[in-house]
Amino acid sequence: MKRNELTGSVDRRAFLKISVRLSALMGLSTCSIPRVAEALAEMTQGNATVLWLQGQSCSGCSISLLSGETPTPVKLITQYISLAFHQTLSTATGHVAVETLNKSIAQGGYILAVEGAVPAGMPRACLNGEETFPDQLMRAARNAKAVLAVGSCAAFGGVPAAEHNPTGAISVPKFLASAGIQTPKILIPGCPAHPDWLLGTVVHVLKFGLPPLDAAGRPKAFYSKLIHDQCPRFADYEREKFARTFGEEGCLFKLGCLGPITHADCTVRHWNGGVNTCINAGAPCIGCAGEQFVARTNFPLLPKDLKVAARDHE
Amino acid sequence: MNKTLTLSPITRIEGHLAVKVEVEDNRVARAFVSGEMFRGFEQILRGRDPQDAQHITQRICGVCSVEHGVASVLAQEMAFGAEPPANGRLVRNLIQAANFIMSHIAHFYLLSAVDFVDVEAVSGYQGKDQGLRELQAWVKSQLASKLVSPIAPLLPRYAAKYLQDPDANFTALRHYLDAFEFRSLATKMGAVFAGKLPHAATLVAGGVTERVTALKITQYKSFLAQLQSFIEQAYLPDVVAVARSFPEYFSVGQGCGNFLCYGVFPESGDNQAKVFPAGVLIGEKLGQLAPDAVTEDVAQSWFSSATGLRPMDGETTPAPTKGGAYSWLKAPRYNGQVMEVGPLARMLVSYHDGRNPALKTAVDGLLKALDKPFKDLVSAMGRHAARALECKLIAERCGEWLNQLAPDSPTCRECTVPESARGFGLTEAARGALGHWIEIRGRKIRNYQCVVPTTWNCSPRDDRGIPGAVEQALVGLPITDAENPIEVARIVRSFDPCLACAVH
Repeated sequence: MKRNELTGSVDRRAFLKISVRLSALMGLSTCSIPRVAEALAEMTQGNATVLWLQGQSCSGCSISLLSGETPTPVKLITQYISLAFHQTLSTATGHVAVETLNKSIAQGGYILAVEGAVPAGMPRACLNGEETFPDQLMRAARNAKAVLAVGSCAAFGGVPAAEHNPTGAISVPKFLASAGIQTPKILIPGCPAHPDWLLGTVVHVLKFGLPPLDAAGRPKAFYSKLIHDQCPRFADYEREKFARTFGEEGCLFKLGCLGPITHADCTVRHWNGGVNTCINAGAPCIGCAGEQFVARTNFPLLPKDLKVAARDHE
Repeated sequence: MNKTLTLSPITRIEGHLAVKVEVEDNRVARAFVSGEMFRGFEQILRGRDPQDAQHITQRICGVCSVEHGVASVLAQEMAFGAEPPANGRLVRNLIQAANFIMSHIAHFYLLSAVDFVDVEAVSGYQGKDQGLRELQAWVKSQLASKLVSPIAPLLPRYAAKYLQDPDANFTALRHYLDAFEFRSLATKMGAVFAGKLPHAATLVAGGVTERVTALKITQYKSFLAQLQSFIEQAYLPDVVAVARSFPEYFSVGQGCGNFLCYGVFPESGDNQAKVFPAGVLIGEKLGQLAPDAVTEDVAQSWFSSATGLRPMDGETTPAPTKGGAYSWLKAPRYNGQVMEVGPLARMLVSYHDGRNPALKTAVDGLLKALDKPFKDLVSAMGRHAARALECKLIAERCGEWLNQLAPDSPTCRECTVPESARGFGLTEAARGALGHWIEIRGRKIRNYQCVVPTTWNCSPRDDRGIPGAVEQALVGLPITDAENPIEVARIVRSFDPCLACAVH
């Protein structure tokens, strides 16, 4: 690889060469090469701008991202992306923050990460000073290269959009579709989203463009399998050895585990640097990465008879 | 200077917060604190299985998730007539303590320190620390780039007087980088028993679902040892260094002077003896906590429901265009009084309570290191100091709880949901007093209300027009530069506001 001695950057021809190699490795078609080259150039210069907006959120996905290890938050911010704005981390406050955000939006071409649902039925339920969140989101999404709907609230509506919610909350993709905004969208559900799901997707977008997505718009790499199919207690299920109370050995199915209807890889990936995961800790899966998570009052998080509940659910 | 300044958004807190200050003769004459985001958890919970409540209410906040889970299972246990076995209580303490430690480290370094420490100082670094060298190289390359926001998210910032001493800056910046790792380590420690964090999976009425094994105790212990060194060798000394460089922050941001603590970390099954006892401090007088004295006003909040209700009978009907209102927060009051909650409140209540001599010794030691009298604790800088000291004391207590755990003994007791019942759960989040109230009818949730730490601290004016704790803390604050009102941000951040919690 030829390096420019002065700037340390890699020239365009060298990029195309790596791109072709990477594309072949990734099984991408050759038409994706220019996009890959462009993204790689951005990464080397460390200027892939990411804007992070929060709507009706709990910041749990931001907190989860801070527990990422590959890369760590410091490496992510200094070597992978330019985090132009993040409510919880930016030093910019007040009008300085608004100006920072607006400058980035005016320039465009960034990745927009959105955490939280959109109060479509009551825009004033989420304000940023004088501007409502729905207005701000529209403004930012129009100029974005891609929108990441981070977490179950942004991806599917989550708790804010659950039955009886008073704000008419909806998911980010639903809101953008209703506003006629065509920016490509990637859904990274989970309550919270696992840091690997988010980091893996961001790096994929930067390096190779859009990752392969399933019908719901989730990266197949993380959401193609059911929790149940990769469950450490699967053998107990097969042998019909069921836990009847919390803390007991056995499959958690009879305690209401939603692993059989939830697409995610928690049971093999584990959480918080691999120390644990819900089912290993004796906690039935509550389906927090699922589209129907908390959506309905009559579908408890821990339905004691899943077959009945699942039928009711359909 | 006579001017109205609006700081919106206040970043580096959790959530959507705006602060408006009216400045007269270079001092804040009046302040208005607005919570800007509402979701309606209390409506969403109605009609659901009570045993879902700890999972749903944890989603109120991704920072204080564990504490909501604990408040919820305590409320359920009161309603169900249940009590966890000793292992269950201890494991909950260990999960909650891990979350306090995570939150306190994140609050000081990630959220507050950059208001005092000079990030730009790294340009002059000549030492050999690899982390600082990398940070320096990054800053240089960012400045040479054509980025719209070079060195984001660490710049731009308010122009102000930051820490002057280069070495103190380098040390604090090195610890700023480390703090990301130690914050993360604290969540690992909690997840040993929580399954995952944020949003702990294992909390249930009757105890926890995770089991206690010798391996888990060892895992937790090894994380704890690393965190204790960071707290003792970095966090506390850095707070002292910042405090000594900004002594003026011991005489601003005092606030209402009333303090409320619900008590936290039970040391006995009946939930009575606690590491930080419950109490109400009005003036210098310590009183017993009377949960019935809590009410919530909504005259200046965007709600049309009745005002002055007790949480058990509370209502939450949104009215986003209500005239005269300026916040999505309700205004909680204790016997009609404004209260401050948080680490400082816990520390003062415990100090006056006197049953924990070790705490008294620790506070006196800290004051000596700061060279400040006791009364100066009630200030913006005092809040940072109290938080850091508390972090150390809690980490020490974790070691004791680990020793009390009985491997392979039950962590959970079965309980049944009654046809109808009421209950409430009072605990403390990292940010202060947290209460959940539940009413069950037909085995479903009929009403659920949460009164949350930042609802107290960032409360708007009440029915009588009395401003909330942060609003009072801002009054009298000198403002040097209207374009860069960093003083306001520093006072607000000393309370560690969490707005997703406050409104829910």
